[in-house]
Amino acid sequence: MQRGLKLTDILITIVISIAFGILYKIWGPLYYAVKPFGLHIDQLIYGMWFMAATVAFLIIRKPGVALLAEIAASSGEFLMGSEFGLEVLLYGIIQGLFAELILFAFRYKRVDLFVISLAALSSCAGSLIMDFYKGYIGDLSTWNLTLFIVFRVISSILFTGVFAVSIVKALEATGVTNLVRASSKKDHEALDQ
Amino acid sequence: MNSLFDAKHTWLHSINPSLKLVTILSLFIVAINIHFLDLMVGFLCVILLLFIFATGYSYKQLFILSLPFVLIFLSTSSSMILFGKGETILYKWAYIQVSEESLIRGIHLGFRALSFAMLGLLFALTTKPVKLFYSLMQQFRLSPKFAYSFMAAIRLIPIMVEEYQMIINAQRVRGVEQKNNFLKRMKRLAIPLLSQSIRRAYRIAVSMEAKRFQSDKKRTYYYKVGFSRNDLFFISYFLLMLGLIYILSIHDPFLPSTDVRYLPE
Repeated sequence: MQRGLKLTDILITIVISIAFGILYKIWGPLYYAVKPFGLHIDQLIYGMWFMAATVAFLIIRKPGVALLAEIAASSGEFLMGSEFGLEVLLYGIIQGLFAELILFAFRYKRVDLFVISLAALSSCAGSLIMDFYKGYIGDLSTWNLTLFIVFRVISSILFTGVFAVSIVKALEATGVTNLVRASSKKDHEALDQ
Repeated sequence: MNSLFDAKHTWLHSINPSLKLVTILSLFIVAINIHFLDLMVGFLCVILLLFIFATGYSYKQLFILSLPFVLIFLSTSSSMILFGKGETILYKWAYIQVSEESLIRGIHLGFRALSFAMLGLLFALTTKPVKLFYSLMQQFRLSPKFAYSFMAAIRLIPIMVEEYQMIINAQRVRGVEQKNNFLKRMKRLAIPLLSQSIRRAYRIAVSMEAKRFQSDKKRTYYYKVGFSRNDLFFISYFLLMLGLIYILSIHDPFLPSTDVRYLPE
């Protein structure tokens, strides 16, 4: 058995990130349309930006996948020449790292909603840290900052946690996940018969 | 990927992609540590100069690329201007409170976002992704399995976009309700797109592995990416210009030169 990620794992992870990149095209305009009002309504869908990480991890279930998915998603935007590309690249790396930390803490064994939501919250924390440095959000008045954080936390759990888990459940039903997951003990037993 | 427009080949195109990436990431770090408005404006000008005169794109093309800049500026500065902390109140209405401090801080954030936007475009407009990955393999010893996966994935993007269109059309033909809740619609598009893409990626990956694309052993490269005199020029441009604006802001401050962060007395 080869340890670490194989080329297959890597390519599939990147492709999952691209698929999300394409899906973002639907709500990207919505996000930027509500952003300038200053009431942080955009934060209610912010969690979708970290989704690729948890979905890719839930499908492939190997160390490093969450980080790679975030890097792929963000570098895609960067290389294609987006105005937000550079910021997105740095945010992506931090968010991926933070999600990876939680998954590592559970030894990559747990794939239940609780752990995935924790990873989502961790990504969220990573993005908030970046915002404190880059966006001075600490200098917003208190009620406004609270609104900002609460909205982002809600959306992180909703999208990166709950929605990601439900998407992967549906994908499992299609059978496509069997292609990529390592063969389990049950499979070997089935062969022995 | 940069076939958006055609551009003249300038010295910026011939800079080593890895070095360009590292420089731009360092400039990002520099920029988030600038807390004075005059320095921020200076920093923006340093990048603006390159953006306008060195990318090899026509003014018309650059203008079109710059249209979203207005939106970027507004979206990053508005919250801070309207709801930021500050003592010298300029305008107050219900929850909105514009103070001198929050106004300056908001403008500062807007300029910062603009400088990131231009830095990012500067890179993307003058770098071919394929060259970047070849350079990362040669200069940073990036494992070929990562580099070739990324390059293969870039080729898959148009196929996936086409597939996405096909899914939408197919669902429309079958009369799937379009006006539905957002998440449901998202999921209905995500499942077929993801499952088809994963299957295709799997097939490609298996054949790439069979052709030893993932081998880490000593390999040769079709594109050899090295360094040139332009690289030196690129780095010294930023070092000299940033040094210059720093000295200028100390000796001859042309804008209110106070820390934009909120520092309670």
